Amino acid sequence: MPRIASLIFVCLIASMVAAALVAPPQRNTDGSPAAEATLESNALADESSADAPTHPKPPTFAVTVRRPDGPPRIELAGSDPQGRSGTVACSTCHSVRPPDLQNRTAATLNEFHQGMQFNHGTIACYSCHNPDDADSLRLADGTRVDYSDVMTLCSQCHGPQATSFAHGAHGGMNGFWDLSRGPQTKNNCIDCHDPHAPSFPKMIVGFKPKDRFNAPHPEPEPH
Amino acid sequence: MSNTATTESHISSYPKFIGRSLWLATEGSFGFYAWMTMLTAIFLVGANAWANQVAGGMVGTNMTDQVSWGLYIANFTFMVGLAAGGVMMVIPAYLYHDRKMHDVVIIGELLAVAAIVMCLMFVVADLGRPDRFWHLIPGIGKFNFPISMLTWDVIVLNGYLVLNLHICGYLLYMRFLGRRPNPVWYVPFVMVSIVWAISIHTVTAFLYCGLGGRPFWNTALLAPRFLASAFVSGPAFIIVSMILIKRLTGVIGLDQPIATLTKIIRVTILINLLMVASELFTEFYTGGSHVSAAKYLFFGLHGKTALVPWTWTAIGLNITAALLFLWSGILSERWRPLLITACAMAFVGTWIEKGMGLIIPGFIPSTLHEIVEYVPSQLEWKVTVGIWAFGLMIFTIAIKTALPTLKRPIH
Amino acid sequence: METSKPSLPIVENFSRRAAVKGGFATLGAAAFVAAVSPLRQAAKNTTAAEFMQQHYTELSPEQKSDVIARLETEAKEKHGVDVHISDDRPIPGTKFVYAINLSVCNGNGKCVEACHKENNHDRTTNQSYIRVIEMPKGTMDMEQGSTTYTGAVPKDDKFYLPVQCQQCDEPPCVDVCPVKATWKEEDGIVVVDYNWCIGCRYCEAACPYHARRFNWKEPEVPAEEINPDQGYLSNRVRPVGVVEKCTYCLHRTRKGKLPACLEACPTGARVFGNILDKDSNIRWILENKRVYILKEELGTKPAFFYYFD
Repeated sequence: MPRIASLIFVCLIASMVAAALVAPPQRNTDGSPAAEATLESNALADESSADAPTHPKPPTFAVTVRRPDGPPRIELAGSDPQGRSGTVACSTCHSVRPPDLQNRTAATLNEFHQGMQFNHGTIACYSCHNPDDADSLRLADGTRVDYSDVMTLCSQCHGPQATSFAHGAHGGMNGFWDLSRGPQTKNNCIDCHDPHAPSFPKMIVGFKPKDRFNAPHPEPEPH
Repeated sequence: MSNTATTESHISSYPKFIGRSLWLATEGSFGFYAWMTMLTAIFLVGANAWANQVAGGMVGTNMTDQVSWGLYIANFTFMVGLAAGGVMMVIPAYLYHDRKMHDVVIIGELLAVAAIVMCLMFVVADLGRPDRFWHLIPGIGKFNFPISMLTWDVIVLNGYLVLNLHICGYLLYMRFLGRRPNPVWYVPFVMVSIVWAISIHTVTAFLYCGLGGRPFWNTALLAPRFLASAFVSGPAFIIVSMILIKRLTGVIGLDQPIATLTKIIRVTILINLLMVASELFTEFYTGGSHVSAAKYLFFGLHGKTALVPWTWTAIGLNITAALLFLWSGILSERWRPLLITACAMAFVGTWIEKGMGLIIPGFIPSTLHEIVEYVPSQLEWKVTVGIWAFGLMIFTIAIKTALPTLKRPIH
Repeated sequence: METSKPSLPIVENFSRRAAVKGGFATLGAAAFVAAVSPLRQAAKNTTAAEFMQQHYTELSPEQKSDVIARLETEAKEKHGVDVHISDDRPIPGTKFVYAINLSVCNGNGKCVEACHKENNHDRTTNQSYIRVIEMPKGTMDMEQGSTTYTGAVPKDDKFYLPVQCQQCDEPPCVDVCPVKATWKEEDGIVVVDYNWCIGCRYCEAACPYHARRFNWKEPEVPAEEINPDQGYLSNRVRPVGVVEKCTYCLHRTRKGKLPACLEACPTGARVFGNILDKDSNIRWILENKRVYILKEELGTKPAFFYYFD
């Protein structure tokens, strides 16, 4: 009797081992009901699957970098006898005044520039502003640049950032990652960086998860 | 005990057997009825708490996304150990032909049945969607076998339940028929159940130790540790049960099995402590961020110390129990209260060590090293105690059903 | 549990005991039914169609549109909002990859908030798929970080590490799921079928990045704040008791749009794209920046990169 018993035992073990070998490990990574996409994804998928799948369609939508409106205008503090306030162009004053090519600080500025913050290295005002045409900017080699093309100016010094920007690695974006499906807009340098004090401002954390048991605690003790 | 004519077909005799068993299981003294009524009441409280948890969502528990398993899974792990611990009676009985143990081995098998039922209940209690339980059923649902260790656990636990139900059921049925059990129909299953008992706890350990993101669990020592502690908690529970059975029902011949089990615990509890010690040495001597969970468990981290009292209690209980078991006098019948105390200490010590001391610190600090503490909510305690009450009910009924067999062994 | 003997020939003197036992069994059963009566409330919230629903990958197109129609009707009944649930499939030849510039990220938490809104997260807990860790400069040990920082950022001696689902190529969460309720699709996104998940939370235990969230209660989102542009596998309002996770906003990204967290980032730290497109931004970053991945030693192979300028 014990012999039969151990025989059955061996058989059971063997069948378990066999079962484990027959069922090969599988990862359930597929999960793709191939053809049953809904209408919207079908329409899109059909076009792209016609091509070789590893080559996405050529971009058909543009990447737009937002551009500043043009030369800045200065708000007038007072108002005329009719009670209208107005703005003037830089050139209103600067076309008739001699430029101070040496100035590199806001402390010496007055009138319209009073109280201006300047914290952009030790460059002079006229490193970027154009002494010959106050309503435009100029590059280091003296070439005139429109205010709306300010990024050309920034890129002279901030080459790595400009390169990163060109590859989406700086400055952020909105819209579509896939330019065959829709356009993309990107920020301009001065959307985020004040040209006169370009370091990115501090922010206040406005949104935190409200965990039930994870109240804010003081700084963790150093180990 | 009725002696049905052997010519009677099983179709009519089996229902008679079931009916007779149920009748026997519900016969008893006033104390028995009081015990069962109390367990029923506690179970109902648990059932109600669980129903509220299902209706209101698991927000009633104190689990979080950081500590996503709590008291339920801790108890589940421990109960798997208890189920596997029953094998410490089966091995002496069947592999070493210990005749005395053989006469009462059914206690261990019945304990396994009750413990596995509790395991399954703890898993269901832990599910967010118990209504989708059928997704786990191979064939009907979608069973992620063999990659998911949880599917292995489903198989081994249910397999172990069926094995033990078969073995116990067959032996009791033969007893009812007044026949001698045919070894072909149960000995192979007993042999399988020995291997299977090891497998249930190994697979349960693999649930945890296979997770690379949880350094506290990610140790090869986990499965051996689980087994060692199972072979403490299981025999400890059985010893206490046997002492109670002897006192309450007058079953004789339990003293020698009690001595055998005591000697087993004497070894396993030391092995368990050794493994805990070597685990802790590796953790603390190495240091680094790998040790933070252990540091949290034993000393607290960043001022959070919820588990520290638990774990030192467990260490204290385990070491004291180990020392008590080492004393030879504990085997004498005069010192039964001390043996019960030692068993209770080992049992509770293991429960903490494996539950609150192993499952919870696996989540603290979290994978992003946040320290979110966990203390079970009232609802969790209710459900847990309810499941324990239900398990004890099953065990009581099962023992009652088996009493005739225990009183007059067939050999 | 007291149970009576099934066959009851009313003879012999145990008939009285049998009657008593039967009485107690009935009493016990009645008490049990009363105890679990809260389940009736839960059962009311689950329709037969939902209970019987098959796994996402096994639904026929007709079944799928039925399911979506049912979910849209339920959303209307429950929240009073007309939502559109789409079923976006992966775009052929696409594998999504994310990168974050840690030199730029200042921990302001706008991405956390955008995720919260876009994905119809529970309002009462400010749930989100992104957590940002404030780390002391000079370490990569998250042990020294904190997620509960507040106030003005960035602090001078800190850098900020946003963590969300890394869409691993070897996802431990997918391996451990016992019912295949979560899987990795061809474009790399690890998704969850919220109507198949049983809520065992094994995936939460397995994920090394704290990427998964469990719905401990029914998510509460006011009707006017519900984002009606939803996906079956992404941001539809989740049922209670199931696990959810970041899907790189697949209801947007599989239509070619950028993820919500990226658009919300005021610092431009986030970059998203198709790594199979050799002209993509993401390829340029991987080829030109110093890139690292979180917990590389675990072998999860994330599709999520961190880099420094």
